[in-house]
Formats: sequence, C-alpha cells, structure tokens
Amino acid sequence: MKKINPFLKSKIMGWLFVIVPTLLIALFYFYPMVEAFKLSLSSGKGNNLSFVGLANYKRLFSDPVFINALKNTLLFLIVQVPVMVILAIFFSVLLNNKALKLKGLFRTIVFLPSVTSLVAYSIVFKYLFSNDGIINKILLSLNILQEPMAWLSDAFWAKIVIIIAITWRWTGYNMIFFLSALQNIDPEIYEAADVDGASAGKKFFNITVPLLKPVILFTTITSTIGTLQLFDEPMNITQGGPGDATTTISQYIYNLSFKYTPDFGYAAAVSYAIVALVVILSILQTRLGGRDEKKSK
Amino acid sequence: MKKRTVGALLAGALFSSLLLTACGSSSNGGGSSTSDSGATELTVWAWDANYNVRAFEEAEKVYDKEVPDTVDLKIVENAQDDIIQKLNTSLSSGVTDGLPNIVLIEDYRAKSFLEAYPDSFFPLTDVIKADDFTDYKVEATSVDGENYAVPFDTSSTGLYVRTDILEEAGYTVDDLKDITWEKYIEIGKAVSEKTGKKLISLDVNDLGLVRSMINSTGSWYTGEDGKTPTLADNEALKVAFKDVKAMYDAKLVDDNSDWSQWLSDFNNGVVWSVPTGNWITPSITAQEDQAGKWAVVSFPRQELDGSVNASNLGGASIYVLNVDGKEAAAEFLKDTFGSSTDLYKTLVENIGAIGSYIPATEAGVYDTEAEYFGGQTIYKDFAEWSTQIPAVNYGENTYAIEDILIKAMQNYLKGDDLDKVLENAQKEAENQLK
Repeated sequence: MKKINPFLKSKIMGWLFVIVPTLLIALFYFYPMVEAFKLSLSSGKGNNLSFVGLANYKRLFSDPVFINALKNTLLFLIVQVPVMVILAIFFSVLLNNKALKLKGLFRTIVFLPSVTSLVAYSIVFKYLFSNDGIINKILLSLNILQEPMAWLSDAFWAKIVIIIAITWRWTGYNMIFFLSALQNIDPEIYEAADVDGASAGKKFFNITVPLLKPVILFTTITSTIGTLQLFDEPMNITQGGPGDATTTISQYIYNLSFKYTPDFGYAAAVSYAIVALVVILSILQTRLGGRDEKKSK
Repeated sequence: MKKRTVGALLAGALFSSLLLTACGSSSNGGGSSTSDSGATELTVWAWDANYNVRAFEEAEKVYDKEVPDTVDLKIVENAQDDIIQKLNTSLSSGVTDGLPNIVLIEDYRAKSFLEAYPDSFFPLTDVIKADDFTDYKVEATSVDGENYAVPFDTSSTGLYVRTDILEEAGYTVDDLKDITWEKYIEIGKAVSEKTGKKLISLDVNDLGLVRSMINSTGSWYTGEDGKTPTLADNEALKVAFKDVKAMYDAKLVDDNSDWSQWLSDFNNGVVWSVPTGNWITPSITAQEDQAGKWAVVSFPRQELDGSVNASNLGGASIYVLNVDGKEAAAEFLKDTFGSSTDLYKTLVENIGAIGSYIPATEAGVYDTEAEYFGGQTIYKDFAEWSTQIPAVNYGENTYAIEDILIKAMQNYLKGDDLDKVLENAQKEAENQLK
C-alpha cells in the first residue's frame, strides 16, 4: 500500500467530517427551502397546483387576513420582547446578588417555566383565564370585579393574556443568558466603581447594561424570531380569536394548509414573508446594536 | 492510525446512508395487507372512541357474521384535526404509504377534500343506493353526480332542555315545541328572571349555532354552486346574527372557550338549554344525577318563509381511499353501513348513534325509549326531524368563510351596522376565495 502523506490524510479526514453535516444541512434545510420557494410560485386547491409566478406575493399585500395577522404579530413583538428582556435582566441582576441566600432555588423557580411543553402550559393558561377560572375567582373574591370577566372573548384582553403567557414562558429562558454574562463581568470593575462612590443605579446603567449589550442583542434577535413564529399559544389559548384578534402569521399558514381548503402554494408564500421579516429585523437589530460598539472602540 | 480508519468508515457509512435516504423508496404500498388468517386487513381512521370507533367495531361484528374471516379491521383512533392534517400531507405529497383504506370525514369538509384531491377517493356510486339515505347527506358527499361516501350519522339537531328548571319558571316542555328563535329568547329571558339560569353556552370562535340556524331555512354561506359567497343580503344569515346578538344583549349567554367548558356549562346547570346536534346525547347523559330532568324538543326555526323546525350540525360520512384494498373496503361498507338494518339497530342501542339510512328508520329501529329522557323516544324524534332537514350544498369553503364571519359577528356585537358588517364580510370572502 502506498503511503499517503499524513498531513494530506488528516486534511481529507477533516473535510469528510465537514462534508457530512454540510450535506445533511443542505438536504434537510436548503433543499426544502428551495422547494418551498418553488411551491410559493404556484397556487390552487390541494393537488391541483398551477404556476402563477409572483401572484401569491402580490396577493399578500391585499390580503386583509394576512395584514391583520402581521399587525398582531408585530404588536406582540413590540410589546412583549422589550418587557421580557427587561424582566430577564431584572431577575438576573437580582439572582446574581452575592448576598442572596437559596440562589439555586430561586434560579430554578424562574427557569422552570421554560421546561414546560408549549401546548400544556397554553392549555393551563386558557383555564386560568376562563370564565370560572382561578383568575376570575380571585378578582371576584377581592371585589375587584363584580362579575366574571370574559378574558378570552375580549379582543383587548385576549391579546394581554397571550402576552402574559409568552412572557411567563420565556423570561426564565432569557434570564439564563444574562446570568451567565453577568458572571463573566470582572468584579474589579464594580469594586473600582464602589471606590469612586457610584450608586447602585449608576453601576447598573453605566457598567452592567453596556457590558450585557451583546447578550441583549442576542436575546432580542432570538426572541424576535421566536415571536414571529408564534403559534402554539394563540392556537391553544384563543384559537386566534375572538374573531382574528390574536391570529398570528404562523397560525394563518396553518389555517391556509389545514383548516381551509388547502392552498399550499399561498401558505408557502406567507411563510416566505416570515423569512423576509426575520432577515430584515435581524439586520436592523444588529446594525442598531453594533453601531455604538464601533464608536466605543 | 486505527482510530482514523474507524472515523473514515463512520463518515463513509453516514454519507452513504444519507444518499440512500435521499434517493428514497418509491414503493407504492399503502392500504391493505393480507394477514395470517387470510383475511384482508383494512385500516380505518376515525375520531371519538365512544362513538365512531365503536360504530366500526360493531360493523366488523356484523360483517363477520355474514362473511367470516374476509376482513380484519384495524381501527386507528385519531383526533379529527389530526386526521385532516395527515390526509392533507399524505395526499398532497402523493405518498400513499400509511394511508388508511377507510376514513371518516366531516360533511362540511368533504367537498374541500374531494375537490382538492380529485383522484384520491374511490367513487361509491355503485356501492350504495343514494335513495336509501337522507337527501342532505347525499348532497354533502357527492361531486358532479358521483357519490364518494357512505353517509353515516345524521347530525339532526334538537333543543335539549332542563325540564325541572322550566317548571320552576312556570313553563312546560310543550311550550318549547316547534317554536321560533324569537320565542326561544323570550322564554329564555323569563326563565332567567325567575331562576337566574342562563339560556345558552356559546363560544365566540365557533359559529356552529349560526350555521345550523341558516341551514334550517335552506340557506348557506355560499350559493348553490358551493363557491359564490352569499353573505350580503342573506336574509337567513341576518336573522341568525340578530338572534345571536339578542341573546348576548339580554345577558342570556355564558361564554365558553372550548368543548370541555361547554360540557361543564350544561352538566353543572349553568345553562338550561342546549340547541345542537344529537351527537351530544352521550355527553348529556354522562351527568347521571340529572337523569329524568332533560327532554329534547324540535330545533327552533327562523322567522322566515321556508324555515323548518329541523337542522343539521356536524356529522360525518365514510370514505374509501383510492389505494390497494379499495374493492374490499367498498364491499365491506356495502354490506354494513350501506345496507344493514341490523347494524343500525345495534348502533342506536349500544351507542345512541343515529344513521341516515332510511330503511332503518322505516324498520323502527329507533323506537327505543330513552330512560334518561324520561322515556322519550328521542332517537325516533331525531330520525324524523332528519328527514325534514333542507339539503344545501356546503361547498368547500365553510371554515374559511366562517373565520371571516366570526370577525363580522364580533364587530356586529360591538355595535356595528349589520348590513355593513355582512357587506364587508362578503367582499373579504370574494377576495380570499378567488
């Protein structure tokens, strides 16, 4: 057997290891993406698809259901993501306190919602906020309400319930990122600030927040993507209702493919609208988040 | 050195298995297989273990008595939504592996499936005698004069009422027989004043009540072609909207947000009446301590010419998929749901299911007295009402239009003008269903 140069051999091995995952990703990610795009250029019922070019994308702009779903999704995004990120920072700072006892217990409690199944917790929330649910019972017994509040059949409150639910589910998850980032901040910086006589608030805004910036950016982008794909909660808590008050884009895709007479072509076009949104928002957020960093350098 | 060889082998193995899966198997199996005993195995997908699944079990027993060891049913219970998803994904991908031979599909969705996947269902025109089944079921399951299903349960509607609460308010069951929705609401107000009980439990995201209201007048969301939306200037729809709003305005409605809350509303006596399809009977009778306190009267009609005290809500039919074993499946259905009066007799006795097979009604299989309803022959009543249900073409867009109407209803309840709300809904439906 002819001897192969050991350097070349390890190089080949390396490439082999790279090729396998690359092919897997190409096969299971990029191939379906290309196929989905091709699908989005046709329209029709079920199997009777015919090529329509960009008509589906044109239809998007004049489809009131899509526009409404987009509005709902963006509203969830604008209200929920900042609230959740701020809460996550707040909890992580509290839980990072050196003087805190039972740290492990509290961290577990805050993180625990993230291990629950999306469907299971959604159904629990639905029951909490139902007419004879515990929330209504508590509010009635405290005389805050005179008669049970129909949370899920009121357009405004149904949105609030969804926002509360997602915030409950994901705050702990995001908190973990902040917690690990906080532990990486050099305590000497805080000591120096203490020596200079900085107040707790000053330390937080001038040291903690700037140093957490990359993590804030990361959690904001992942949460944004997550919210754009929001499906389980509205599907299970409100079914997108009342009316279409909490219908999200993902739910509209589901309805187009499974609830109505299926039009997979148009559904694929709607899902490409999410792709476009994710790309645009991520670029925007990285630009906004990255700009100051360059300045400070 | 050795480790590297192993690594290379692993990588190679992964790579080749990847290629293998990529090429994929294109075998066209699906459907039936022959079991050891020589009987053909037929797969059935159905929902509701206490109702549809048991119906198929009974059917198999009947068939086994006639022609033993020819068919072996494998009944798979799935939620209805799951069946819809699985059918959609399998049929649209063209992969018939794993599809069942026989599947249950809700009548409102039937046309959607038949139109979307034209060659995937096996026509049963020669298998059943259409005249043997109630008109509205045949209408719902046929396309271009071809029958694609054996009609199953009649979802003939009725008004379930609590007799004890009615008595307390000074009414008798007879006061509710053959009434209009206006009269129903009037009685509801009086009962609410005297007993504090609400009239009806509704889910804002489900227009089932509206659907059954307009069906009793022979009207639907779409025209006779099953395609053109007929929402604006639809008198029946207007009256239905007005009646629903009247119920909300008079505070006669208890909101529910899902099936189980709905059940608990009437099982716990929050509401005293349930206007719905007869498939609710097992859920009513589940509350054993209320035995003898319920009665069923005819469904209220709309105050319109041509409206009858009978309607339909839900209901499903049995379809054969165009995969291997379709002939055996059709043969099986022909001798069971298609023509067996005995089967329908056991169905009503054991699970309270009412078929839409007319000879069974004529043979008197529904004459059983229901103990729970004070000895009332409810099955006979439902079967009788089912013959009066106006046949309408449900078309293929029921649920798409209904989502639009749910919004319209929201706006109307908030105080918007009815004509305007329906005109907007009409425009939206026309745009969406191009």
